[in-house]
Amino acid sequence: MAGTTHALNAVADGLRLPLEFGSSSRNPLVAVQTSDEASPELKALFDEIQTFYAMDRVPAVFRWMARDPIFLQGYWGAVRAAFSDASLDRLTKEVLALAASMTAKSDYGVDLHLREARRLGLTDQGLTEAVEVVQLFNTVTKIADALQLQPDFNPRSEP
Amino acid sequence: MEIVRIPEARELAPEDQPFLEATKGWFKIDFVPKMSRVLLSHPGFGRPYGRASRRAMSDGSLTRAQKEMVAAVVSAINVCEY
Repeated sequence: MAGTTHALNAVADGLRLPLEFGSSSRNPLVAVQTSDEASPELKALFDEIQTFYAMDRVPAVFRWMARDPIFLQGYWGAVRAAFSDASLDRLTKEVLALAASMTAKSDYGVDLHLREARRLGLTDQGLTEAVEVVQLFNTVTKIADALQLQPDFNPRSEP
Repeated sequence: MEIVRIPEARELAPEDQPFLEATKGWFKIDFVPKMSRVLLSHPGFGRPYGRASRRAMSDGSLTRAQKEMVAAVVSAINVCEY
């Protein structure tokens, strides 16, 4: 989940794709096709993506990827699996994707995942709490790196 | 290698000992993490930071487990080994 989020953000921000929900003055550096231009097979895939996000269009990052439909199909399958309800529910995953996007300073990711998390039920209080944790850990990770602290927990050990 | 000396818990101020003890219980470990000790070597910063941190990581609208996962994701994106 964190991996695909980081990757999609890198593509969307790198290519300056416009934000999906917030106002955006970004001009894409590449042509991004519209859903109307899609072939029938691609159209089916676009419909699935659009339904997954409950949007009236396909997010620009996936429309860019549709230049290589086979790649989009495979990668989208991985994204869908990573973000579907499993041990963690989809809302929790969206909160984690928002934290990853904020930490990486991704305008595209914050815009998309904030809307997704809210759509799936994140309250203002929940958002405040999530951002507090993001802020705390951006503080301690910076301090730990600056002081070159060596880990004192073993993440592989069972509690 | 750490660029500062990390104090032992017992070297820190007597009034901070209850918080340091509580930290072991919080993480269910038998030692005080380096980060807690480093922060409390500057009590003016470490005390309010520690209180804010403990409160922010407690169960609320999000569970502590969800908050720990957010913390792990932030650490991963920042590639922080600690």
